[in-house]
Amino acid sequence: MKNSSWLISGLSPLFGLVFFLAVWQVASLFYHHVIIPSPVEVARAFFSLLSGGQFWEHGSHSIVRGLTGFSLAVVAGTAVGLLIGLNQTAASLLRPLVVVFQVTPLVSWLLLAMIWLGFSRVPVFVVFVTTVPLVIINTIQGVKSIDKQLLQMAAVFRVGKSRVVREIYLPQVAPYLMAGMSSALGVTWKAVAMSEFLSVHTGIGAGMAEARMNLETAALFSWTLFLIGLGLVSDRLLAYLTKQKLSHWM
Amino acid sequence: MKRLIRFDNIYKTLGGTRVFQSFSLQVETGKIISIIGPSGCGKTTLLQMLAGLEQPDSGSISGVEELRVSYVFQEPRLLLWKTVAGNIDFVLRDVETAERRRELIDYYLKMMGLYEYRDHYPKTLSGGMKQRLALGRAFAFPHGLLLLDEPFKSLDTPLRLGLVGQVARMWRETRRTIVFVTHDIMEALLLGHRVLVLSAKPTFPVDTVEINVPLEERSIAREPLPGLHDRMLALLRSESVYK
Repeated sequence: MKNSSWLISGLSPLFGLVFFLAVWQVASLFYHHVIIPSPVEVARAFFSLLSGGQFWEHGSHSIVRGLTGFSLAVVAGTAVGLLIGLNQTAASLLRPLVVVFQVTPLVSWLLLAMIWLGFSRVPVFVVFVTTVPLVIINTIQGVKSIDKQLLQMAAVFRVGKSRVVREIYLPQVAPYLMAGMSSALGVTWKAVAMSEFLSVHTGIGAGMAEARMNLETAALFSWTLFLIGLGLVSDRLLAYLTKQKLSHWM
Repeated sequence: MKRLIRFDNIYKTLGGTRVFQSFSLQVETGKIISIIGPSGCGKTTLLQMLAGLEQPDSGSISGVEELRVSYVFQEPRLLLWKTVAGNIDFVLRDVETAERRRELIDYYLKMMGLYEYRDHYPKTLSGGMKQRLALGRAFAFPHGLLLLDEPFKSLDTPLRLGLVGQVARMWRETRRTIVFVTHDIMEALLLGHRVLVLSAKPTFPVDTVEINVPLEERSIAREPLPGLHDRMLALLRSESVYK
C-alpha cells in the first residue's frame, strides 16, 4: 500500500507531462503545423537546432548579454540600494528615479536605447534597466531589516565604517539581495530575447525572428523551450550558490 | 592621585520620564564597581552614557574620553555569519596584529571553554555558550573600561558562579576598570570592590559599600557577604514598586 502510493506521488509529474503532451498531440492533429506543430516535429526541430549549433551560437550571445546586463544591475543596484537605505538625502533624491525606472514601459526603453546607443547595445541596456529596480528595492528592504543592536555593538568597539558596511550591512542584506537577484534573473532572459528580437541579428531573439519569418513554428517552440531551460538552469544555479553562501548561518 | 571617572550633575529624560536628576557619581579606575537597583532605574542608561551611546541632557561625564570601552550587553549580539573565532576577530581587527589577535582569541576562547567550537557558527551554540562568547569578545578587546550589563542574566546558577570567577580572574590579570550592572545582589557582592545601590527613578545612590576582602577569598556563606546581602535586599525592597 505504502509502496504504491509512493510510486504514484513519485511519478505524478511524469503523468502530468504525458497528459500535456497527449493534449498537445491531439490539438496538433486539428491544426496546420504552422499554427500548432506536433510534439514530434518540435523535438525534431529542437535537435536540429542543437546539432546545427544554432543554440550554442545564438545562445552564447544572449547569455553574455544577459549576464552582462544582470551583473551591471546587481553591482549598481546594490550600491544605489545601500545609498538609499543608509542616507536620507540620497533616499529623497533617488527614490523617485527608481519609481520612474519601474513604471517606464519596456518599449520606451527599447526605442530610446536604439536612439541613444545604437542597435548593438540595446539588449544589455534593456536587461540592465528592467532588472536594476528589482535589485535596488530588495537591497533597501535588506537595509531596513538590519539589526540596530549589532551596529551599536560595532560602534562601542570602534569598528571602522567601511568594515561595518562590509561585515554587518552586507551579510544582513545578502538574503534580500539574493531574492532580488533571483527575480532579476527571471526577467533577464525574457528581456534579452525581446530586445534581440527587435534590435540585432544575433542571439536567441534573433533566432526566433528568423524562425518566424520562415514560418518555422516548430523552431519557434524549440527556442522557447531553450529559453525556459536557460531560465530554470540559471535559477537553480543561483539557488545553489545562495545555499552555499548563506546556509551556515541562515 | 587616583584617576576617577566622574558623573557630574547629570540630567537625563528618556521616553518622557526623568531618569537622572542632578545625578553625580565617582568611579575609581582599576577597580570593579557593582551597581544594583530596581528594574528600570537607569542602570543600562548609565552604561550607555559611559560608552558614548547616550548623551546626558545636561551635566558632564569625564575620565572616559581616552579609554577604549568593552561592553557585554544583555543580549549576546553576535554576528551570525562569522565563526566563534571570527566574532572575536571582528572587534580586534582594527587594533591588533594578526599574530596578537590569534593569541588573544585562543586565550579567551580557552578561558570561556569555547576553544573546540572556534570554527562553529553561533547558530549551533546554546544560549549560555553565546553569552560566554560575548564575554570572551569583551575580555579580548584591549579595553581600559569594561561595561557589563547583566551579562549572566539568562544563565543557570553553576554557570553564573563559574563566569563570576572568570571575571574575577580576568580582573586580577589586568587590573582594568569594570562597571558591573546586575540585579543579583550576591553577584554584585562577589565581584565588586565597591557595591552601589541605586534608587528607583529619578535615580540617586542610596547605599555604597567598600568590600576589602580580596575577590578570590569571598564566599556567599562567609561574612561580610551574608550581612551585606540582607542589608541591600531590605534597601531594594523599600525601593521596589511592590513595597
